[in-house]
Amino acid sequence: MNGWHGKILKINLTDQIVEQEEVNPGIAKDYLGGRGWAIKYLYEGMDPSADPLSPENILIFATGPLTGTPAPTGNRYMVVAKSPLTGALSNSNSGGEFPTWMKRTGFDLFIFTGKSSKPVYLWVNEDQVEIRSAEHLWGQDVHQTTDILLAETDPNAKVACIGPAGENLVLMAAIMNDKHRAAARSGVGAVMGSKNLKAVVVHGRKNPLMYDADAMQKLSIEIAKEVGVAVKAGSALREYGTAYVPQVTNELGILPTRNFQSGQFEGVDTIDGLTLKEKYLIRPKPCYRCPIACGRLTEVAEGSRYDGKGEGPEYESISSLGSACGIDNLAAITKANYVCNELGLDTITAGMTVAAAMEMYERSYIPEDDIGKPLRFGDADMLIELLEKIAYRDGFGDILAEGSYRLAEKYGHPEIAVTARKMEFPGYDPRGSQGMGLLYATASVGASHMAGDTAYVEVFGVPEKIDPLVTEGKPALLKRFGNAFVNIDATGLCVFLALRYVFDADINLWPTRLTKLMNLTTGANYTPESMLQAADRVFNLERMFLIRAGFTGKDDTLPPRMLHEPLPSGPAKGYVVKLDEMLPEFYQLQGWDKNGIPTPEKLAELGLSEIVN
Amino acid sequence: MSVFDNFFVIKISVKLLATYRKKLPEGTKGCTCQIEVPTHSVVRHIVEQYDLAFDETNVVLLNGRVTDPEQKLKNDDVVCVFPALAGG
Repeated sequence: MNGWHGKILKINLTDQIVEQEEVNPGIAKDYLGGRGWAIKYLYEGMDPSADPLSPENILIFATGPLTGTPAPTGNRYMVVAKSPLTGALSNSNSGGEFPTWMKRTGFDLFIFTGKSSKPVYLWVNEDQVEIRSAEHLWGQDVHQTTDILLAETDPNAKVACIGPAGENLVLMAAIMNDKHRAAARSGVGAVMGSKNLKAVVVHGRKNPLMYDADAMQKLSIEIAKEVGVAVKAGSALREYGTAYVPQVTNELGILPTRNFQSGQFEGVDTIDGLTLKEKYLIRPKPCYRCPIACGRLTEVAEGSRYDGKGEGPEYESISSLGSACGIDNLAAITKANYVCNELGLDTITAGMTVAAAMEMYERSYIPEDDIGKPLRFGDADMLIELLEKIAYRDGFGDILAEGSYRLAEKYGHPEIAVTARKMEFPGYDPRGSQGMGLLYATASVGASHMAGDTAYVEVFGVPEKIDPLVTEGKPALLKRFGNAFVNIDATGLCVFLALRYVFDADINLWPTRLTKLMNLTTGANYTPESMLQAADRVFNLERMFLIRAGFTGKDDTLPPRMLHEPLPSGPAKGYVVKLDEMLPEFYQLQGWDKNGIPTPEKLAELGLSEIVN
Repeated sequence: MSVFDNFFVIKISVKLLATYRKKLPEGTKGCTCQIEVPTHSVVRHIVEQYDLAFDETNVVLLNGRVTDPEQKLKNDDVVCVFPALAGG
């Protein structure tokens, strides 16, 4: 096969058996790769109602057909499983260098089933596949684990691993790769920990074959040159990383502040990209062969109580560990980010959970005795201390390790948790960005911006600016964005490049150039229509996984703060999310019935009748 | 300042974000400066004053909301411009 290797590595951890499986070319095309192939194997391989931390859960690492190709940013992979945080799907995406190296092993997917009786790691060097003991690594943080594994395998290999958080089944545990990059959300690290799988190490030289290598090279260079021109003209992502965004969301009144009690933070000037650049940036740090380079290599100098060196923070970490916790000290936020990376925590859920605890403490909903000391908004030292306690499930950290939904419920105030499907919101308050409200309520993974980020048009004006406060047209907008994100996640590109350079530059998001890239790579004769239909197929199969896991349309909702408490100030003052104005139309556009279930006709149209029955 | 100055001039804030920050006067702290403009100025005039275009390459906000380029300005208005670019 071209683009795809057409080969899957299946690792049965219970019996310590490794098998290879060939992929049917028709299935390969219909499900695109990456996130698409993964849901096919997950759906068919497990009972969606199974306990996500039991051996019955399946953990999938998935590259796409464009991963490891010359396509700019073709260097992403997905981690897919049933989520222990939400009980729904995990669809976590990461870049760095690991994804390309994984693709070069000659396998598109790694599928882990069962549970090892002792800690192990997987070492894949092309066809040399070994399940090795990881008992000497258990308890080590992400940096130590990575260094040890590179020393005992190959210094040019790449490592994805869990830290103490994953080992301790913390529901916000991430899978870290290349030390600083995270497949972060919805507890994929805990799934890995539940299988006693500490790490995956990859190396190889099997670049995917290209259907038309010359034309692919030419088109890739053409795209990279366009990005180069934009960067030369002045690229905010290159200069500030995503850390320039707090000023933007603050101006719109949607920067999560003090657990979403407001959308504007008085300390925004001290936590933004300019401050990061002037005080802590060493240099931009790109993912492998990325022409954008939004990553940040940073250092907080010795002498500061927050000293350290690493990568980040990017926007989401600044909003969750910063404004959401009322913290205006960027050195502390950066340190908190390093701690999350080293211990293997999702910065969004970790920060937002501490933010919820801060609000509950200030409202006297959590007794001080339970925490051991005061926990007020703005207390950076407590944030950092609690992150460590979360990762080790130490004291109050054991309660926080379950996320804000279970925390708020435990203390009798579920209304404090700002979650959808029990997952914490990212950095866009949807009361001032209505499309994001519809996204958080309906996304298979829960409140994620990476499942169809309408903030692109509502906040950033890409490909055009649309009023974030209106609901009209948002269901159709989200349907197009949802499909575009499936296309991106399934093929292996990065959204930062893809939405500007491989879709047509209007809100119809027609995948003209993406289709060309896919055809030059795979030779599979896609049309833009068939690319979008494949996205729809993947999206609906994910939805069916949720339905089989016990979710209904009633779960497509948002917490009371979003539906009933208007934003108190700023441009979106007085607004709540008007979900009921959008949800029925969204169902209709998707071909779902009034309970949010895909109709038999819709499933038949997508060729899913057989697999779901 | 005479009473007529107040009549003919309004004070507004200009906020230039991301890479446009460099277009603010040297020595500006943060990303906002206060300027005086003639009454009857519209949003587009301010954007153009900083050598920027009111088009699809930029996001222009008036008091944090999407705005018409010909919207007339009043005292204490905030005009914010940043390049259309994602994201977070």
